[in-house]
Amino acid sequence: MTDEPPAYVLDTGPLSHFAKAQWLGVLKTVLKEHRVCIPDIVREEVRQGIPHHPHLRSVLDETPWIEVVPLDTEAQLSAFSHYAKRLVGPDGRNAGECGVLALAETTPGAIAVIDDRVATEAIRGRPVVVRRTLGLLCEAIRAGLLTVPLVSALADDLLESRYRIPFGTGGFAAWAEAQGLL
Amino acid sequence: MGIGRRVAEARAEQGVTQEQLAVAVGLERSALAKIETEKRRLSALELVAIARELKRRVEWFVDDAPPALVSYRRAHPDVATQAIDLRLDELVRETEFVVSCIPGLISGQPEPLPHPTTAAEAEEMADTARRLLGLGPADPAHNIAGLAAALGLLIFSLDLGEGADAGTVLLERGGVTLVNGSRMVGRRRLAAAHELGHYLIADEYALDWRIASSEADGLEARLDRFARALLLPESDLRTRWARWTNAPDESWRDAAVRAASHYRVDMATLARRLKELRLVEHSRAEDIRQVQTRRADIVEKDLVVSDELAPASLPRAYEQAVLALYRREAVTEGRALGLLLGTFDSASLPELPPVPGSEIWTVTS
Repeated sequence: MTDEPPAYVLDTGPLSHFAKAQWLGVLKTVLKEHRVCIPDIVREEVRQGIPHHPHLRSVLDETPWIEVVPLDTEAQLSAFSHYAKRLVGPDGRNAGECGVLALAETTPGAIAVIDDRVATEAIRGRPVVVRRTLGLLCEAIRAGLLTVPLVSALADDLLESRYRIPFGTGGFAAWAEAQGLL
Repeated sequence: MGIGRRVAEARAEQGVTQEQLAVAVGLERSALAKIETEKRRLSALELVAIARELKRRVEWFVDDAPPALVSYRRAHPDVATQAIDLRLDELVRETEFVVSCIPGLISGQPEPLPHPTTAAEAEEMADTARRLLGLGPADPAHNIAGLAAALGLLIFSLDLGEGADAGTVLLERGGVTLVNGSRMVGRRRLAAAHELGHYLIADEYALDWRIASSEADGLEARLDRFARALLLPESDLRTRWARWTNAPDESWRDAAVRAASHYRVDMATLARRLKELRLVEHSRAEDIRQVQTRRADIVEKDLVVSDELAPASLPRAYEQAVLALYRREAVTEGRALGLLLGTFDSASLPELPPVPGSEIWTVTS
């Protein structure tokens, strides 16, 4: 056992959401006690996404605190292959998520931050811990780093694109309030 | 075999030089050479690029090949890899993955039957196979892929152009057959029946060229005989042939058209079967071989037209298993479409239901 705080391994999706809202600094503050890394394959996805999503440039330019880790050991490639079998189709999408899960799985005490439901299904029976972006955002509210209206706006975006949870746009704040979540 | 060696193997199969591959994936040629000789590790990022360039899935480089593929390769080191080999390899791995998630996809697999050593034993084997398939004495073996799936053999058909008629690989449990869909329907069904023969005698790996050719000998010829007997069971064919040839106002040609349609076989197969059962003489068999079913025959005789195993065709049970994986979100949409070999598009997939509200706890905690 180690007393070191867990490392967080970030996926392209969460990074993109934070970059779009210009909250990379907030993310840094939220995770300041932790080692934060991305696999090289996620950095490549971010790089390739810049022409269509210019806000991603800040992920490359403004995050010296994020460590880029190549996946090249046998264990990492084996884990990568396991996830690719479930997530990657002929178009090659989701390779980044496979990299995140493989890195988190092979880094002691690491936590993957990943939003895709299939990705979280794919970890069944695997020694890897996953958290979702929404969880990090709620934590940031509790830490006084973000306000509910700001998170609500981002939550809407997340809920629409990722979670398919049946409450409408703008519903997060009221829901979270009612649940005593915040 | 390590990943680097597999890179070299896949590169050779695609007929690409080290230089060409290195340029395509943005590596120095010397770096690629070191990767291939396993003096340098490669990263997932490089592997993804190489896999894309060599038209292989990433898993192909990392995971061990299924045992039947390994022993076949070992036994035939000098045989050039055909398109059908590559597709079979892919299908076997994809099927094994789907089966690992949904074991029920492979249902009952019968005990291996003995190799037929004579034509009579091939006929007996066909009788046994028909019983295993649940066919009554007078039932034509329609939808052979559906029938075979019940015995654990998954039959796919893909357009492979020129090349082998079919191939079969035995899995740990069950088997996978790939039929060359470029052939006509009768030939495809005959090939499927022949492959079922290989499967039932538990041949680990079979690659078949020119099924039902006069050049075949030994086991292949006996499995051809098995296939014909399976599709054209002797006693039923005798009865029907007598009835059709005795029908008033109909010629031997009409009888042939009816028989080919009823049993869904091509004229060459029908002619050969009639001849081996001594229902026709040599010259009549040759005449039947030349018969072509006309549109008028289909209308006047009210025949059912079937395009069984038209490429791309996947076993229904396999398609259902992939859709089940997609529904339970065990695979992504892209992966589901890949497993379905391009026979589906996004709009053809089922709509996923809303996620239960209780899940919000797992996403916010």
